[in-house]
Amino acid sequence: MPAKWKTELVRFIPLITLLGLVALVATIEPSFVRFSTLTVLVSDTMTLFLMASGATFVILMGGIDLSVQAVASMTSVVVAALLPELGVLAVPVAVAAGLIAGAAGGISHTLLRIPSFISTLAVSGVVTTAAFLFSNERSINISGETRDAHLAWMVGEFAGVQAEIWVGLILLLVLLFVQIWTPIGRFCRIIGAGEQAAIASGIRVDRIKVYAFMLSGATAGFAGVMMAARLGSGSPTLANEFLLPSIAAIIVGGTALTGGVGSVWRTFIGALIIAVVRIGMTFVGVSVFAQQIVFGLVLVLAVAVTIDRSKILIVK
Amino acid sequence: MEAERRGRTDGLGSVIRRHRRWAPVVVLVLLCAIIAMVNPRFIDPFNLVRLLNAAAIPTVLVMGATFVILMGSIDLSVEGVLAVSAVLASAMVANNFTSADFGLWAVPAGILLGLAIGGVNGVAHVTLRIPSFMTTLGIGFVAVGVATAILQGDTVRISDKGFRALSLERILGIPAGVWIAVAAVLVALFIQERTRMGRWLYAIGGDEATARQAGVPIERTRVMAFAVAGAFSGLAGVMAAAQLGQGHALMGQGRLFVTITAVVVGGTALSGGVGSVLNSVVGVLIVVVLFNGMVLMGLPPFAQQGVQGLLIIAAVAMALDRSRLSFVK
Repeated sequence: MPAKWKTELVRFIPLITLLGLVALVATIEPSFVRFSTLTVLVSDTMTLFLMASGATFVILMGGIDLSVQAVASMTSVVVAALLPELGVLAVPVAVAAGLIAGAAGGISHTLLRIPSFISTLAVSGVVTTAAFLFSNERSINISGETRDAHLAWMVGEFAGVQAEIWVGLILLLVLLFVQIWTPIGRFCRIIGAGEQAAIASGIRVDRIKVYAFMLSGATAGFAGVMMAARLGSGSPTLANEFLLPSIAAIIVGGTALTGGVGSVWRTFIGALIIAVVRIGMTFVGVSVFAQQIVFGLVLVLAVAVTIDRSKILIVK
Repeated sequence: MEAERRGRTDGLGSVIRRHRRWAPVVVLVLLCAIIAMVNPRFIDPFNLVRLLNAAAIPTVLVMGATFVILMGSIDLSVEGVLAVSAVLASAMVANNFTSADFGLWAVPAGILLGLAIGGVNGVAHVTLRIPSFMTTLGIGFVAVGVATAILQGDTVRISDKGFRALSLERILGIPAGVWIAVAAVLVALFIQERTRMGRWLYAIGGDEATARQAGVPIERTRVMAFAVAGAFSGLAGVMAAAQLGQGHALMGQGRLFVTITAVVVGGTALSGGVGSVLNSVVGVLIVVVLFNGMVLMGLPPFAQQGVQGLLIIAAVAMALDRSRLSFVK
């Protein structure tokens, strides 16, 4: 096989893995590949993708953002509380709140030179407390009418497909544009590949880092809005248990934790892989108690297959 | 005159740099002093014993985590290993779930199970060349899953008094769990200072490519470090079972981030090569004192996370020795 083909093939391994998993589940339970089943699966996955999408840029730089679940919970509260008053304007306010939380993580990371692992972990504590204060320690319901009036574009249906899927695809295209065509996306990759070289070549590394964390906060905030819209309520713990799956989605897609290698489309595929494994187990009939064992094993194997080692010299 | 003044400030700078490694201790002492001034009950012997008791299990956990982090890797399977070892230990002593009654044999069994899972972590990480972050995350899921599958959501209740004494019995007025933690620290310190493995951890974390050139058996050391980390998590699981008198699949919940935070607050760098198990002991004490202080000051539970976040940023900013780190990820 010519070397060029081989590198092309490696690029598409996550996609091949996804299709292989779908085929595997389908051979055991054919009803899995019905159009309606698959669209429900994809629309359920979009919140996970939204959460992981911006964080991909942070991981691309070799950092990590552990605040996404706290930020999403916080914005679910913000949007649920403000929706009756502000209408659809509550959405940009919630996203802005996420962006500010992201900026806090990024600025404390760069200014105080604290590892992003710790700065974002600490920010999630602060954000959670803020959400509890803002919501008076309760969950806030969104009434059916308010939701239909202001959030139907996000959780309704469009052209025969759930609106979540369109929202997710549009965000994917926007972020791909940011990643490929804007300095932020390209500098993120350069910083991840070699931070000292990036500093030496005059890139304002700290500023780009803060931008990446802001982007991650904003998309996590958007994910919180979508969760609130889907569930009809916002609560300070709504997105708990979403943090590790969202990082897993990024890495299963083939983005390296060491930075420099990866892409947002990979995260999209990675989120779908996780969803297919999760839902597929129910279809195949794996017992509820055994599902977590299978999930863990598949996670390890999926990363073993999808990770592109040609550009990674040392695995930490 | 100008030169003289600059000379003096340089001197001060170098004094600070030379003593930088004591920064976590200074943070700890300041923290204790502030809390004791606000609420004198902090230095009440009862409270101090409670503090030590709260620090015992996290201390055992950070011993292993420090070894892994010294290599620049990370172990996210802490919660899973702790849970599955706690379940095994609780099912081996007199309990309401099985008819077994092996008494204190549960202790080595729990440690060995942790060692084995840690070994799987290491072997999968090294042979499949998967980042430790993902390997240990996946294996951690598997471990919690095994505990869930065995118990089907049940809880094992321990009736073995001798086993529970491992945590509750007091020796010189201090709970036995604390003495076990002290022993774990001594073992970890011995491994770090007096074995080849300990020295190799620093070499790998400092610069893996150079360590390989110098003939350090990278793969073997990595597997051993993960196995030892697993053994410490297993011991922590046994201690948790003895302390709570039960074993269930969610025993480990909330332990992971506390462990890593304590390691970093203590001054061990996540990038590897810099730090020590003693730093991590100080880190655990900082985190535990912080938490205890907030409770003493009557902070509502939901506000504690926020304050803890802010103070941890402050503590790391003060304590982290960045002189050997050219950039921070």
